[in-house]
Amino acid sequence: MSETRLRARPHGWDLLLAVVRWILIIFFAVYTLFPLLWLIVSSLKTNFEFLAGSPFALPAVPQWQNYKNALTVAGLGRMLMNSVIVGLSATAVNVIIASMGAYCISRFRFNGRERIFTLFTAGILVPLNALMVPYFVIINKLGLYNTYGGMILLYCAIGIPMSTFLIRGLMDSIPMELEEAAYIDGCGFFGRFFHIILPLSRTGIVTAATFEFLTCWNEFVFANLIVSSEKLRTIQVGIRYFTNQFSTDYVSMYAAIVISIIPSILGYVLFQEQIIAGMTSGAVKG
Amino acid sequence: MKLERSDRGPLIAFMLPAITVMVVFFVIPVLYVVVVSFLKWNGISAPTFRALKNFALLFKDKAFARSVLNNVIWALVAGFIQVPLAMVMAIILSRKPKGWKFFRTVYFFPQVISGIALATLWRAIYRADTGLLNGLLTAVGRGDLAKDWLGTVSSAFPAVLIYWVFYVGYYMVIMMADITTIDTSYYEAATIDGASDFQQAIYITIPLIKKTSLLTCVTLASVMGLRQFEQVYMLTNGGPANTTSTIVLYMYKKMQDANYGMASASAVILIIVGVIFIVCIRKLFEGRSEQAQMIRKARRGVK
Repeated sequence: MSETRLRARPHGWDLLLAVVRWILIIFFAVYTLFPLLWLIVSSLKTNFEFLAGSPFALPAVPQWQNYKNALTVAGLGRMLMNSVIVGLSATAVNVIIASMGAYCISRFRFNGRERIFTLFTAGILVPLNALMVPYFVIINKLGLYNTYGGMILLYCAIGIPMSTFLIRGLMDSIPMELEEAAYIDGCGFFGRFFHIILPLSRTGIVTAATFEFLTCWNEFVFANLIVSSEKLRTIQVGIRYFTNQFSTDYVSMYAAIVISIIPSILGYVLFQEQIIAGMTSGAVKG
Repeated sequence: MKLERSDRGPLIAFMLPAITVMVVFFVIPVLYVVVVSFLKWNGISAPTFRALKNFALLFKDKAFARSVLNNVIWALVAGFIQVPLAMVMAIILSRKPKGWKFFRTVYFFPQVISGIALATLWRAIYRADTGLLNGLLTAVGRGDLAKDWLGTVSSAFPAVLIYWVFYVGYYMVIMMADITTIDTSYYEAATIDGASDFQQAIYITIPLIKKTSLLTCVTLASVMGLRQFEQVYMLTNGGPANTTSTIVLYMYKKMQDANYGMASASAVILIIVGVIFIVCIRKLFEGRSEQAQMIRKARRGVK
């Protein structure tokens, strides 16, 4: 609302509405934050405190070694590394392919363009989990079962529709005149892409990259499906095994979860504006 | 920009990687599950054609019926409870009350945390002995209600379903962005006419977002509800007595048993249910809101 917006005249139940509004605002905030705080507090307890004490009690002495245990004993460090390697590689390839595709769809009129774009938007709605069988077979056929390459390829691929959609949205907003002027000055297909469109779509590309990286970081189903070696486990698969393997060491498990959440939250808070802008630019047009 | 003859080569080269990915990882896999759903195949020996027998077996299996039912409930709850809650919060926060940016950030957190981490957290909350929920119930003097939430047949599915409903951040943010594009002069005019905030929300905001972000959110939420896997896999693995199973979990288990035919058949059912949902939601939101269309048109006229 603009600053100049007039306030409504006092109505009978305006006060009630204001109270309800704040109850809702606070309820949803507490609902989100309280369990997370509880998780952090629990991760600093001893197993005895967690199992025998009240769920609301604070740890007598914060047990930072739970975090050390998670990182060293359970090998979480290695898993974090795997997630970073896979996530960064997949994101890099993903945004390159998506930017190229988005450039064509956004800036040129050619036969079948609409149909191609429909294919991309339909791709966003496909329930990917339903495609476990073919993905498993494809990755095996390519000889990429149990490799970084397999994960990178699959993660890059499943993010293509979303990334193309997001980057195209931004490219659409770049005025045609800019490109036409460059064209008249003799700037070719690649020149216009690299010198005009790409720099101007930076924010769209950052949004797509943030999205893709978060997807990779949080992905579990396919990582669990196409990798079996302990050395290649990503953080999410690691947590899953952690809950089996260390099922009695609750506090270290919670420490591991906290460690896995921190990068997501940090990344989100840092790139919040891009994430929100990009997500909504695509979704609102629907 | 028109396509110059000299641009054709580079254009194809630029389009090719993305198209290849779409064909190999989207088009072919969807066709693939359809084909394999007619086969008996364990992934190793040669597949044999068995027509619709996989589907017949699926429909006879009570665990599958329960999975479909759970998914349908999940999709409906997501689309028609979670999204309306998100809409209410979007309307409230788009009025920019004190600290709205902070609350928007917080509400969005669950969206950036992995399903696995959230599920593990909620497994701890629902624990029978030291769980947070039982602790809270005891603290407010209703310790008699405490139970093994995920291990009891009657409470397991509601428990798996409900915690997700109040994570409204994603849909809220989408609708907030839509609401901020609404011309403030409508609200100014309504205020002068003496309309309360509540009336303004009902007669201006909701009709104006109905066909755009609200439709998008209901569609997205329902599709998410149909896709559910990680939550149930981590929380209950479908138990107790298959009461929390979902289609994808059922499919995953069939895959583990190397029954690729039935796994693919359940994937086909999932895709069909998804299409039905998307079509029905579109139909539901079409028509009826002529008023909104008129305002939209007027809005375009103003710009």
